[in-house]
Order: sequence, then C-alpha cells, then structure tokens
Amino acid sequence: MILFSDVSKSYEKKAVLKSISLIIKKGDLIFITGPSGAGKTTMLKLIYCSERPDSGHITVADWEVSKLKQQEIPELRRNIGIIFQDFKLLSNRTVFDNVALALSIHGMNSEKIRHYVNEALDEVKLLDKATLFPQFLSGGEQQRVVIARAMVSKPIVLLADEPTGDLDIDNAKAIMELFSKINSKGTTVLIATHDDNLFRASGKRVVFVNDHYIEKEYIG
Amino acid sequence: MNTTSKSKGAYRSKPKNTSNGAWLEITKYSFKTALKSLRLEKWINLLTILSVSIGLTIFCAFIIINSNMSSALQRWAKSFGVVVYLNEDINKEGEDKLKNHFLQDTDIEAVNYISKERSYEEIKKTLGSNAMILDVFKENPLPSSFELKLKRGYLDPLLVKEKAAKISQLDGVQEVQYGEKWLSSLNTIAKTIKLGSIVFGAAIFIAVTFITYSTIKILLHRRKDEIETLKLLGASSSFIRLPFLIEGFFIGTIGGTISSLAILGIYSFIMYKMVEFLPAIKFVVTSLPLFVYLTIPLGGAVMSLIGSFIAIGKIRY
Repeated sequence: MILFSDVSKSYEKKAVLKSISLIIKKGDLIFITGPSGAGKTTMLKLIYCSERPDSGHITVADWEVSKLKQQEIPELRRNIGIIFQDFKLLSNRTVFDNVALALSIHGMNSEKIRHYVNEALDEVKLLDKATLFPQFLSGGEQQRVVIARAMVSKPIVLLADEPTGDLDIDNAKAIMELFSKINSKGTTVLIATHDDNLFRASGKRVVFVNDHYIEKEYIG
Repeated sequence: MNTTSKSKGAYRSKPKNTSNGAWLEITKYSFKTALKSLRLEKWINLLTILSVSIGLTIFCAFIIINSNMSSALQRWAKSFGVVVYLNEDINKEGEDKLKNHFLQDTDIEAVNYISKERSYEEIKKTLGSNAMILDVFKENPLPSSFELKLKRGYLDPLLVKEKAAKISQLDGVQEVQYGEKWLSSLNTIAKTIKLGSIVFGAAIFIAVTFITYSTIKILLHRRKDEIETLKLLGASSSFIRLPFLIEGFFIGTIGGTISSLAILGIYSFIMYKMVEFLPAIKFVVTSLPLFVYLTIPLGGAVMSLIGSFIAIGKIRY
C-alpha cells in the first residue's frame, strides 16, 4: 500500500530523513513516533506530495508519488484523507460545509453530498452541530469535524498528524476509537504522534524515528 | 506492488462520483461560490464593477464620437472630385475619346462632362448680380471640362496625385485640378481618428483587464487559506480556478451591461435636449447599432475573464 524506499529529505541542507525504507500493508494501522523534529510530519507530507524527496522512491497504492506531475497530485490527494495538526477548517463555512467540501471536489451532487456528510457527522457524533461554525466548537469537536472531512470520501489511506495534540485523555481516547473503527473498514491508517499513550498496549505496529533514521519498529 | 490499475476497495469506491455529471456539479458549485463571493465581498466587487462600467462607458462614448466623425468625413469625401480642363482647340472626337477613356477607368466612379456653355451659365448663376463682369470678355473664356468622381478606396492623396498626373498627360487635357490640401487634411483626420481608436481601445482594454486582475488578486489573497485547504483535499486546479473566473465574468458582464444602459441613457438625454435647439441634429448625429450595445457586456466579460485568468496564474501543489 505505502512504500518508502531509501528516502532522504533535507531542508536547506539540514537533513530531516536519511535513507528511510518502510513498507505499510493495505489495511494496517501504524504509529510513527519519535521526538520533535524527528521527521514524522515530513514522512506524512512526502506521502501526500506536499514535499518531494531528495532521493529515493515513495509509492502509495499505484502512485509513484516521488515522480508525480503537478496535475496528477490532486487525484492522489483525493484518495488520501488527511488530519492536520492545525485542523485547517474554514471558519467561514459551517461544519456541514467543511465536510461537504471534500465531496464537492469530486463533483458529487448535493443530494449525495448531504447523505454522505450526514453519515460521516453521525459517525463522529456531531450531526447536531452541523450548522455551527468551527470556531464555536471545542478542540475535540473540531478534531472530529476534521476526521469526518477526511473519511467522508472513503479514502484508501488516512494520515493523522498529531491528532490528539491538544486534547484531554477522554477526547484522545474517543478519537483513537474513531481511527480503529475507520481502520476496521479496510482503510490504511497512519498516525504520527509523540504521545506514547496512544499506542501503548494497542497491539499495533509502531515505527520509532530518531536522528533522521528509523531507529526501531515494535508492536505497541 | 500492483501498478497496472488503481484498485478500489468496495468501501473506498462507494461514494465516488465519476459520472459525466461531475463536471456539471463542479460548475454548479463554482457558480454558487462565485455568487457567494460577490455577495460577501460586495464592496470591492461593486467598486470593480463601477470602474469597469466607467471605463467601458468612456470607450463607448469615444466610439460614438468617432463613428460620427467618420461618417461626416465620408460625407465630405463623397463630394470630392477631380476636374479635368480641356484644351481650347479640342474637337468633339477628342472629347469623346477622353470620355471613353475615363468611363473605362475602373478607379473612376462617375464621369460628368461640362461644356464651355454650361460652365459659363453656371459661373453666371454663381456670380448673380455681379455677372456683368463677364461682359468684358468678347468670347466665352471658360474651357470645357470633365468632373470625375473617384472610387472611395481611391481617396489617398498620393494615389490621387498620381492619377491626376497621368490624366494631365492625355491628349486634349489642359489642366487637372483637385483640392490637394483639402484631401490631404481629410486623410490626416481620418488616420488620426483610426489611430486614436486603436490606442484608446487598447488603453481601455488594458485598464479593464487590470482592474479585474487587481480585484481577483485581492480576493485570492483573502481566500489563500481556503485555497490551501482545497489543494490539500485534492481539488483540481480547474476546481480552484473556476469560481474566480466566473466571478470575473460576472464583474465584466455586469459592468458592461451598466455601461450599455448608461451610454444609451446619456445619448438619448443629450439628443432629446439638443433637438430642441438643433432639430436637424438627429439626422446628422447617429447612435451605435443595437448589436454594439449587446456586444459591450460581452466585451467587458472577455476583458475581465482575461484579467482573472492572469491573476489566478498557475496553481502549484
């Protein structure tokens, strides 16, 4: 599903990742962890082609990501659900419209959009807040809107960058339950986090990135 | 890893919409977004529409003045003729020969023969009560002549000069006269009007395009977070561009329509007021043909679309 083959990346001559190789199988839920600045977010950015590797190859399903042309990137991204650390919710749109945006870009008609958005909001238990604007929601609720937006188009891969960063334990637990649920339906889930509470005793694969390399892999 | 096809699991493929209606839905979405932006950013859009309409109104007023000046020039040009004075001793055969020569010349539209006697009568009529001064002449001093009307395309001063020189070489021709200076001035005015139209038209085109360009640039800046999110969600460049292009199209069309109505109103008002003092003006001053009024909104739309297109530039992921 996702393949990193000898991938290196640096910013302004400062190495972030050095010769990273990683295979993630379809339907996996894995955690990428490590200290701040270890390159967790960069790994995710390389997957959705927000960054390009300096060397090596990255493949996502059938896409050779490292060789994608500009006009091919949108199609890749339409098949990846992304949960951003800073949410990236549009403050001038309601919760419903924020989630609907992910389907509008597919050219879906409004009737279908309504059906799938309501379904997604119901799944994250925010159906009653569909008409509110994001700024009137709590941090946990905003994060659930982002998850609903990421999963509404049924992506093949879900990437989450520090999804529980500012959340309390209860909210973090609820978010993790959502990821497990999404993963159980066949979606490959990749979570970048520094919070080891998330993967401790999860029984899932954990990739520990440190000092630009994959230092170790283990089952959490 | 399988690289031959983009395999889609049942779960993934469920909500995808790849039907032909996708483009229709994206267009509908873009129209809705553009209309919403026109409403939300009403002040900047109103200002742009106003600027576009002022620019186009000035341009239309210029076209009306220009077309009226051109038709006045054409009316003057119609009266232009070359007079060929014949030798005193030319006989009937010589005159017929010359007449045939002129009739066969494809550059000449009309040939009018004026005999000595007719010339004398005409000058007598012109002099009126002063006609007695002609009595000093024992014989009719005026020569017979041909008045030639050249074709419209042949009113270039150089061509006329060349033609006059050739005619003066013909047997039986004493002198060829035409308003050389008059023709030259007429030509200079016509050329100035033509050049002015091109320069002014280009200036208005650039102005309207730039006005829309600036507005769309501002709107793009204001919505840069939204565009960034759209890009990350996988929106195609056309999905991002289309609402801005439609907004530009609306700005140009509305601006053009206001301009059409304004110029029609101003023209009607001026004519209404002027007719009171100069009743003949309605026969002299003409408005623009109806299709031009319908073309102005289209012109505004095209100019604004170009401005929007340049403003959006290339979408980079």
